[in-house]
Amino acid sequence: MLYELIGLEKIFGGRKIFDIDRFSIRSRRIYSLTGPNGAGKTTLLKILAFLDRPSAGEIRFCGKPVVQVEGDLLDLRRQVVMVDQSPLLFTGTVIDNVEFGLKMRNFPAAERKKRAIEALQKVGMEQFAPAEAHRLSGGETKRVALARALAIRPKVLLCDEPTANVDSEHQKIILDILADINRREKTSIIFSTHYQSLEQQLAHFCLHIQQGHLSEHQADNVYHAELIERGQRRCSCRLSERVVITLPARAVPAEPLFNLRIDQGRIRLADITGERETEGSLVEGRVAQIREENGGIEVRLDAGIVLDLVLSPGMYADRSIRVGEVVAVVIPDDAVHCIPNNGQLRKE
Amino acid sequence: MELLRDSLLSAVVLLMQLDPELLFIIWVSLKVSTLSTLIAATVGIPAGLLLAQAVFPGKRFILTCLNTLLALPTVVIGLVVYAFISRRGTFGSLGLLYTQEAIIIGQVILIVPLVTSLTIAAVSKLDERYRLSAMTLGADRYQTALVIFKEARFGIVAAVVAAFGRVIAEVGIGMMLGGNARGFTRTMTTAMALEYDKGEYVLAVALGVVLMTIAFGVNMLFHFFQGRTRTDAL
Repeated sequence: MLYELIGLEKIFGGRKIFDIDRFSIRSRRIYSLTGPNGAGKTTLLKILAFLDRPSAGEIRFCGKPVVQVEGDLLDLRRQVVMVDQSPLLFTGTVIDNVEFGLKMRNFPAAERKKRAIEALQKVGMEQFAPAEAHRLSGGETKRVALARALAIRPKVLLCDEPTANVDSEHQKIILDILADINRREKTSIIFSTHYQSLEQQLAHFCLHIQQGHLSEHQADNVYHAELIERGQRRCSCRLSERVVITLPARAVPAEPLFNLRIDQGRIRLADITGERETEGSLVEGRVAQIREENGGIEVRLDAGIVLDLVLSPGMYADRSIRVGEVVAVVIPDDAVHCIPNNGQLRKE
Repeated sequence: MELLRDSLLSAVVLLMQLDPELLFIIWVSLKVSTLSTLIAATVGIPAGLLLAQAVFPGKRFILTCLNTLLALPTVVIGLVVYAFISRRGTFGSLGLLYTQEAIIIGQVILIVPLVTSLTIAAVSKLDERYRLSAMTLGADRYQTALVIFKEARFGIVAAVVAAFGRVIAEVGIGMMLGGNARGFTRTMTTAMALEYDKGEYVLAVALGVVLMTIAFGVNMLFHFFQGRTRTDAL
């Protein structure tokens, strides 16, 4: 486990921000962290970055208890980097900033420069290396701050609202970078966000903090997929031992392992006869949960994967499905969004 | 009015003639003020950085004491230091009384609280994210302090400039601990006081012109650095 939080409490100004009984965070995964304003997302990230101390409780990092002593914390901080929501760059040039973390670790000048340029290339800012850092725009500053963190090659990257106040073009660049470093360098990433689409597109797991409690769920209908057969027209992709779906060949990424998201609003109950529809995949599962949500009926199927779908109240009344019943659903091709490991979304 | 005009004209002539006595007085003033400012900066800047960032019991009390010391009259400092360095004092055997060193000691005591307080103010105004960014990028305490020093440098330099302005215009300590000895511990301010007592206004006015010029230069520097700080903050 990367982090284990045991009885973690944070009290600020007499108010208990959060109270986490027991919680674990796995390594090499991407986690999103959501919650209402003031729920303590940034405070939790600061505690995970060892920049703030909990009021009570224990943190274990890579299996070892964290001792809140400056010398020990410095060693831990050198494995975890947090990128602020509105990062500040230090006075000096862009490359001075990117080299900063390496300088603190006494890297030789040549190695520092090499790594800094590499990091700037990752964020597409290498041409700004000699520029004064204070003259950059907000989006550019965010990318340089990300490069400054990446140059260190941290074990854990914590990002507070990485795409907040950034235009859509720069948002995409930042998301691509995060997905890429998770895949290539196995960097564990935890990022806070207000955007559900971002959470679903990027995260393997979603953390939600509300009223002081932290909960985790797998990103809704996001799965790791393995390409098992590539045909000329359609490809077979395995989502679990039991679940294999087929997708149009043009929608499937070139690499054998990728993520995909299934839009829960487009999944349909199959006809009673179970007849297979032409453009989609048929999946059978047991109804595990039914609940009303925002005027729709959310149904959770245990199909070897956890599959959530939303029915209209009319459809639900017609079919009158019950918990425990086995039902078949059709996943139309246009409900599946493939996410190659470089983070770019393909929609079919 | 006529007296002032005649004195001013004679003072300008004196300055243009580069009168050796006048030059020596200016030299002593600049020397003791610069040295005391450097010593106070060496003590006050690290103390300010530490006090601004550290959280410890009694911090508020120390800050209150510092603010109180800002209002310390120079004659009180003169008296206290005199008690220590006079022949019968604890450090009497060092023979410091009526030396330039004695003036420096007194002036350092006068401006250390000023440098410390203004450094605290400059660092406290600095965005907290600079400190957190340095820490998360792996800086230890010393490296973090250096980052903060660098980012707050204009405010800190302004603190040092203000301290220099305070000591160059100071008269009480120079008089009580330096003794205003001609050719030895006579500074611009003590010389002006003496010349005034004697009714000799020419040298006093000449020194006043020099002192005002230096004070003007120092204030220009102070506003320049303060302006840079404000521009940075925007």
